[in-house]
Amino acid sequence: MLIRLAGGRIVDPANKQDGIGDLWIRGDRIVAPPQGETPDAVYDVSDKIVMAGAIDIHSHIASGGVNTARLLLPENHRAHVPRPAATPLSTAGWSTFETGCRYAMMGFTTVIEPAVPAHQALHSHLELADVPIIDKGILAVLGDDDFLLSLLRGGGNRTAIADYVGSMLAATKAMGLKAVNPGGAIAFQNNARTFDLDDVVPFYGVTSRQIFQAMQQAAIDLGIPHPLHLHINNLGVPGNVDTAIKTIAAAEGKRIHLAHIQFYSYGKEGKRGFSSAAPRLAEAINAAPKAITVDIGQVMFRQTVTVSLDIIRQWSARPMAKPRKSVMYDGAANGAGIVPYLYKSDNFYNAVQWACGLELFLLLDDPMRSLFTTDHPNGAPYTTYPDLFALIMSRDTRAKWLADLPKEAVEMTTLPSLTREYSFSEIAAMTRVAPAKLLGLKDRGHLSPGALADVAVYNDDLDRAQMFRFAHLVFKDGDLVVRDGRVTHYRYGRTLTVQPRYGSGIDRRLAGYYDDLYGVSRNLFNVPPAEALGRDYAFEEVACGR
Amino acid sequence: MKAFVDGAAVGLDAAAAAAARVLGAARLPVIAGLGTDVAGARAAIALAEKLRGAYDHLASDVLLRDIDVMRQAGRILTTANDVRLRADCVLFVGPKLFESLPDLPKHLDLAAPPRLSVTKTRKVFWLGASRGEAAQVGATEIAASPSSLPQVLANLRAAVLERKTRANGAQKLVELAAQLKAAHFGVVVCAADSLDRLTIEMLHGLVVDLNEKTRFTTLALGPGGNALGVVQTSGWMTGFPVRTGFGRGYPEHDIWRFDANRMVEADEADAALWISAYRAEAPQWNRRIPLVALAKPQTRFAYPPRVKIEVGTPGEDHDAIEFSQEIATFALARAKNASNAPRVADVIGRIEQNLAKGSEAC
Ligand SMILES: [Zn+2]
Repeated sequence: MLIRLAGGRIVDPANKQDGIGDLWIRGDRIVAPPQGETPDAVYDVSDKIVMAGAIDIHSHIASGGVNTARLLLPENHRAHVPRPAATPLSTAGWSTFETGCRYAMMGFTTVIEPAVPAHQALHSHLELADVPIIDKGILAVLGDDDFLLSLLRGGGNRTAIADYVGSMLAATKAMGLKAVNPGGAIAFQNNARTFDLDDVVPFYGVTSRQIFQAMQQAAIDLGIPHPLHLHINNLGVPGNVDTAIKTIAAAEGKRIHLAHIQFYSYGKEGKRGFSSAAPRLAEAINAAPKAITVDIGQVMFRQTVTVSLDIIRQWSARPMAKPRKSVMYDGAANGAGIVPYLYKSDNFYNAVQWACGLELFLLLDDPMRSLFTTDHPNGAPYTTYPDLFALIMSRDTRAKWLADLPKEAVEMTTLPSLTREYSFSEIAAMTRVAPAKLLGLKDRGHLSPGALADVAVYNDDLDRAQMFRFAHLVFKDGDLVVRDGRVTHYRYGRTLTVQPRYGSGIDRRLAGYYDDLYGVSRNLFNVPPAEALGRDYAFEEVACGR
Repeated sequence: MKAFVDGAAVGLDAAAAAAARVLGAARLPVIAGLGTDVAGARAAIALAEKLRGAYDHLASDVLLRDIDVMRQAGRILTTANDVRLRADCVLFVGPKLFESLPDLPKHLDLAAPPRLSVTKTRKVFWLGASRGEAAQVGATEIAASPSSLPQVLANLRAAVLERKTRANGAQKLVELAAQLKAAHFGVVVCAADSLDRLTIEMLHGLVVDLNEKTRFTTLALGPGGNALGVVQTSGWMTGFPVRTGFGRGYPEHDIWRFDANRMVEADEADAALWISAYRAEAPQWNRRIPLVALAKPQTRFAYPPRVKIEVGTPGEDHDAIEFSQEIATFALARAKNASNAPRVADVIGRIEQNLAKGSEAC
């Protein structure tokens, strides 16, 4: 099948392109314009914007925690629309099927679930098997696991740690490694209620700083494309900008990704002791080595539910739950907390948070290092992305929103003074090129010949939110899956994994360790081969550098 | 393994075709039992949507007690492994906790000190055990009958909050409260099977109170037979737990409306698909609506199913993904005794194929 997308405005910053042209697709790949061949299908996309499929590096779409949130809040996701015949369960509120469809409708073709406890990886893969259309992947969370902490207590043999992390990535079929307030879950089991970068994990005698640095190094040593993905300590705490800046320094210029930094951009100024420190944080990130990347984690005003493995943070958020209920989980090797929350535009704190995120978007100078997220669903559901695109693309839109916010909150930020407006090229860099690069996905995020034919075509609607909410056309692997903002049919994507090389002696050691400590076989925790997961589940390997 | 239509042995294809006729002709079919692995649950829920029917689980009464407490008040939960490795104080509440999990006492290994704790000793208590049960885990027993348990727990909670009680045995509860408050990382172990909803909620309140000063959490044991896995699967497929219906073309969850027994007795459901692959269990309803059963060979039905298809046991006859309470998440259970007995998911797949044929014909 040869397809020609004719006469669109092709926005492809990876190739420094923003201009009118044709894009050709053969099979599942982008191809150079073929000589003397007639396409099987031609789509007139003049006056439309053509981009590569978007990639979300941090969205909690499939895990035990997410599923607990679904079961906790039946009142928040009632469905009202019967589904079309070709797409079963696509209108079931907050189902995996709905997730695949709604992402595709916005032109997203790859989404990463970033917080999977290493012992619960199969759960996430089972959910992902029921997410249609998009490709996906998981990040495995370590950092509160006894084996790693014991290695660190014993002096932190670098090879052994890399071998262990490699073995866990293979066992979980993950594509990357994450740490969440590392050490915090164990500290909380020992009755700590706060946990900072240099606090010591009881029983193990190691600090959060030591844990994350060891994991950062392990990711580098294993040559996995995605660097350590770090959820910093002190999320949400006034004055935590200092923690973020200390952490940037502690990264020592080596590759690391810092997640949802909006939640760490808070000062303690003003009579309520809560202010935006986003300019200070943006300055620190702009000045930091290029090896340090961030995503924003924007807050939007609406009902949501926070789903996090940072149980210390979630415990402290319990009194703010709305509706007033929450689930806390002292899990094996990781904690978790599910706390519903209502972000309100007339709430001083929420308004400051919202402004902090936008300040970061507008003050961070490199879209290749500052990625677009709402930390779905923690800052806002991913379904608010279109509104967020509109906000960063238009200062008039921001001015309208700002007018509705409490004055005293706006005064704690610099947002009204920021005039920057994102161009299509910058949007594409931030949501296509940068995530592909950060995840090591060489055939995505751009429209060069040979790239995967994941393509989104948007109407050039002046209402940018409308434009990005309902893509005109979306191709996944060259298959037209969205037409006029509607999913036409299901297909199932692949799950991205890495297969790092590591010294396999660690597997023998771990087999004995699990038998002895847990009294169950380590095999019980391992993700079985794809064919055991049903629905023709398929893994795609992302090449490692080692 | 065999298949039957109106009592006569037939091939699997003929049985699937007959099942499709029964279910396809129904105005509101209900899929009940749902005693199956993840693959079976996925197939059954997808079929329920296709048929615009409803689905329920044979252990819903127990499952929904826990779920209801969670969605009214929340929960603080942990895993069996954390009890084994970190709990220095364990309080069992209610009788018969190990009935569906006979290997659990050995796994918890409570006679040994918690290996990953700064505390080197472990205290174990059991409130309201049935006879001989407390000794299994070396627990100090505090007697309470099932009927007195709610009041005893209320008194214990009062003692934790240092409110005066003059109840019988108050001194024992004051002592127990002191032990719980002295815990470093304590765990309440309970099962919805043996407690009513209000008692579970009271236990949650007790755990919340104890967390004011120290750490305390809950190991909530669920029914066996992958019941927890079916709830999880239902959660991600529809957003809701079991007792969900698709009559309007989208999922609606209602624990009263979509109670399979009620739907049948009230003449709302006009055909049923009964699934019980783990145990020889039959539907509880009395009204004789047309019944398709995917069941164990030994199952004794109150009335003969129109179609009966004998299915294999997940994890016995075939590999299966199930929720393992031992590790508090899903795991692959390899077939212990592989056979060619059909899997629930495969049988439903064949029924669906026949439904598709039927719709092409008309
Ligand atoms: Zn997150």
